[in-house]
Amino acid sequence: MRTLRFLWVLGLLPPCYCRYFSGETFSEELVIRPLPDGKVASRFEFTTLLHGATPRNPQNLSVEDHSQHYTLFPLALGQILREYAVTELHLTLNAGKWNYDRWGYPEESDVATGASLWAWMAEGSGSASAANARHRVDARWRDLRNALAGLFCASIASLDEQRTTSPGRAFTPVGALPAWPASVQHAFRHASLPSENVCTENLTPFLKLLPCKSLSGLAHLLNPHRLFDADWHGMGLHVSWRPNEGVQVRLTFQSVSDPLRAGGNSRDWSLRLLFDRVVDRACPVAASSRIIVTLPTKELYSVHPEPSSVVDGRGAFDLSDQSFPLDLRLRWAEPFQHATVPSAEAPLSVRRMLRGSAQDHGALAISITNPDSDPVSVVYLETLPWIVYLYLSTLELSVGGVRRPDLLQDISYIAPVPHGRAATLEAFLSLPARSTVTLHIGVGRSFLRYTEHPPDAQRGWDLPGAVVALLPAASGNQSSATDSTNKGAMQEMKKWNQPQRIYTPALLVDPATPDFSMPYNVIIFTCSLIAFIFGSVFNGLTRRFVVLKSPE
Amino acid sequence: MPPHVHVHPDGTSLRDPSRLFYQSDSIRRLIIASYWLFIIAAIPLWWHITSIERLSLPTARVHAQAANHLRFPVQIQLENVQDSSISTSLQKLLDDRIHKSHGLDVQVRQQSDPTNPSDSYVIRAAEGVPSANERSLTYPVRPATLPNLADLLTLLLAPPIDAHRVAQYSPRYRLAFTLLNEDAAAGGAISGWDISGAISRHLSPILTALSVLHNFTIESQVQFHAPLAFSPTPIQDGSYGLTQEDLTVFVNSAEWSLSSSVSNDPVLHFIVFVPSASRRPLKILDSNGLPSTSNAFLLPQWGGMVIYNPPTQDTNSNTNANAPLPPSALHSLFSTFATQLLSLLGVPNLPGDLQTTTDALTGWQLDALLRRRTSENARGAYDTLQSIVKLVDQIENMPVGQDVRGDVLDSLSALEEMYTPSPSSPSSTPPSLTTTLHHSSTALTLASRAFFSPKMLALLYFPAEHKYAVYSPLFASATIPLAAAAIREVVAWRKGRREREGAGGGQ
Repeated sequence: MRTLRFLWVLGLLPPCYCRYFSGETFSEELVIRPLPDGKVASRFEFTTLLHGATPRNPQNLSVEDHSQHYTLFPLALGQILREYAVTELHLTLNAGKWNYDRWGYPEESDVATGASLWAWMAEGSGSASAANARHRVDARWRDLRNALAGLFCASIASLDEQRTTSPGRAFTPVGALPAWPASVQHAFRHASLPSENVCTENLTPFLKLLPCKSLSGLAHLLNPHRLFDADWHGMGLHVSWRPNEGVQVRLTFQSVSDPLRAGGNSRDWSLRLLFDRVVDRACPVAASSRIIVTLPTKELYSVHPEPSSVVDGRGAFDLSDQSFPLDLRLRWAEPFQHATVPSAEAPLSVRRMLRGSAQDHGALAISITNPDSDPVSVVYLETLPWIVYLYLSTLELSVGGVRRPDLLQDISYIAPVPHGRAATLEAFLSLPARSTVTLHIGVGRSFLRYTEHPPDAQRGWDLPGAVVALLPAASGNQSSATDSTNKGAMQEMKKWNQPQRIYTPALLVDPATPDFSMPYNVIIFTCSLIAFIFGSVFNGLTRRFVVLKSPE
Repeated sequence: MPPHVHVHPDGTSLRDPSRLFYQSDSIRRLIIASYWLFIIAAIPLWWHITSIERLSLPTARVHAQAANHLRFPVQIQLENVQDSSISTSLQKLLDDRIHKSHGLDVQVRQQSDPTNPSDSYVIRAAEGVPSANERSLTYPVRPATLPNLADLLTLLLAPPIDAHRVAQYSPRYRLAFTLLNEDAAAGGAISGWDISGAISRHLSPILTALSVLHNFTIESQVQFHAPLAFSPTPIQDGSYGLTQEDLTVFVNSAEWSLSSSVSNDPVLHFIVFVPSASRRPLKILDSNGLPSTSNAFLLPQWGGMVIYNPPTQDTNSNTNANAPLPPSALHSLFSTFATQLLSLLGVPNLPGDLQTTTDALTGWQLDALLRRRTSENARGAYDTLQSIVKLVDQIENMPVGQDVRGDVLDSLSALEEMYTPSPSSPSSTPPSLTTTLHHSSTALTLASRAFFSPKMLALLYFPAEHKYAVYSPLFASATIPLAAAAIREVVAWRKGRREREGAGGGQ
């Protein structure tokens, strides 16, 4: 009788009870934010939480793992996380340059150009034995890159030791690192590949990790034809562990589209205009499914349909309250006026360039502007492949042409190893209020081996962008300087106690390149020259000199 | 006055170039000789750094393996049989029936003998329905039933197997269970299943029994959108049908994310397909186009599929509700999966009319499987080894490194171990089937690893022609003056000697 009643209660429960039943929760959210320059930033976030799960302890890698049974969590990703005992993992694939000065701070802070991968992994067991060599951090980091490259069809596998760095301060874990016995230290690995092109072949596997793929729910809006036509687009995978909740996987897609391009001097947007699709049905397994729209504060506008709730200038649309098909529309009463001065919403403005036209040396110049009325502390992180090396003795800090060595609080530099390891420069700077600090440092360019040149060598090498991370202690003062439209992202950053990171665009460096078009001719010419020198020396050594009588 | 001291017309004598120290014949010859000496001394080094490492492979030992044939001794004991002629006639009947190629040495004995190995088979004579237990068979043994008994024993000891269906041997398999909803958003989908419980109830006994052969990694996932690549055909009674042609293209690998990226272990897929609410019930049609009673099918060497049509809901309940898989359905699904798994792993079925008392596999089945896998592996290892030897023989540029050679040698010794047990093991008893299987599997794994070693491809794409094309411009132009100088000097030396001899003869 009791079981019968229990079943009856089950029948009364809303159809979503299974979402909690299985110990996995999936929720999706789309944030749409009109930008000051008339463009529209949108951010999809798909979060799957595996309740009660913990990352695998690499000390136990030689022990058979328990079976993996998932309902909502992507199995392909779970296999990788368990196999290589990854505690926290972040992968971003972005295309284009995020314009902080015009667009403000992004919802997803990691907008480095190209592919970036960083992870925290604990040291595995087995110090010397060959069988356990695969359990060491570096071996697992290599295998992880290869596995993710296969999963996302991206050239992450080429993020090899020559691009791997372990900076100390600019990146901190989003979640927690499990407190395993003291012998198990977590190691951090970071690598970036700015020349990676992000396209449909990366989006397709990304969508396959979602429980509803792109067939229902918000993910249906992820239309590759529109997304890869946007001014900026990027996807991200973030895996972290929350001690009281479990393992969380966040899949994000961020894009900046331009409604003005559609014609008519209007920044009015709708889902159909942005994505050429509408939400025609809800994802049946999503615990929550929301669209959040930042509403204009100063102008007149109309939004259709009405948001379920408006908090802090942000209208929330819960998909469970809406009727399908759902096409959100936001219209302004006034036509759009192009602003003459880009409104600076970002906490800092960073410029970075490579100077000098010589093939073997040059200079790196970075200028960081702090528009705020308070001084801030930042970590300036530069990870350079070994083809470029820094002359630390030439490091110069100046404000308005005046040298200010006192602004450099601390510096750590890991020198590059030619043909082996990338260089890491972490400089702790304090930026005075309302000033522009210029950092100038001499760089040398290495000579590459014939086989080390990339395809299309004349194009040059992409140097990864620098990262400027605002130290959390100082970021408490930041919110006053930022516009209210951007507040959400800022608050979110603070909630996670994450340093705000600002990425500079990639640079192109042009090392000395041989003439690849005619290698055989080069060989012949070189050989002829060597043979000529050899012949001259040899003849000089063995020649017989005789005095000839000249006829009178 | 010496003939070669020149005096300038004005009387001052210049230095004679031939008296400079490096102009003497001996020094010049020394210089030329040292060049040649250097070249000759450098040749071994050049040879060493440009030659491809080709360690010799044990070709003769590989070919010698062809003479080896696996023999499996099989002891059968008859219990409760008084008539001694029965065992001899059964022996004769079995010898006729069991083909030589199975490699079975069947020996039938009358009475239980304490010296017999413990893994011998026992036939108990008793009236009633024949039934098989662990390694015993209860059968009404009478002279009249002997041909039937011999037929039954042949089926038990050397069962026929559909070789196309059985997955290739691997020490470890990945069992991937997938619950696929064709379209969960259309409603009535299956939102989850008690997979761990079902596995422990239905599969664990089988997996434990098979653990002597394979290890298993189990994983499962649920998908909520798994579209088909084709549309099922509607049939008369409002249901939908899958024709035999549809079944061949049923698995939509492009849309169903089934692949695994972390290991190379072979995967056996077990899929529950829940058709979309608008296409229910979905049935499999037989070759006549009529709905078949079965809703499961097997994809050889790949896995098994079951189509699950959720029962039609009552009108008062919410038809759009997604619910977990009911336990009764789970039970029937996993019974099907268990059958499919056995069939994919090549476990022979018991002959139709035989009863069994155990739930798990009988020793008869397991031993037949072990014997079959062992001979398969041994043959595979031998074929692979022979291919390596042949390939290395044919392609002279192919490098053979220490690891390839080591793998080949280890594989060979595992094979040899299998045929002739090492002296350390007690020689009176033949090695157990599991040991033999272990050796055969090691031999196969090592042979395949050697065959697919990426180091064997290293220099395949840098042919000798390229080498000469790079060398000749440098070496030809350097050696020609060297050779010319050497020849000139030899000629001059001979001439000088002849002149000296001539001068000596003249005196």
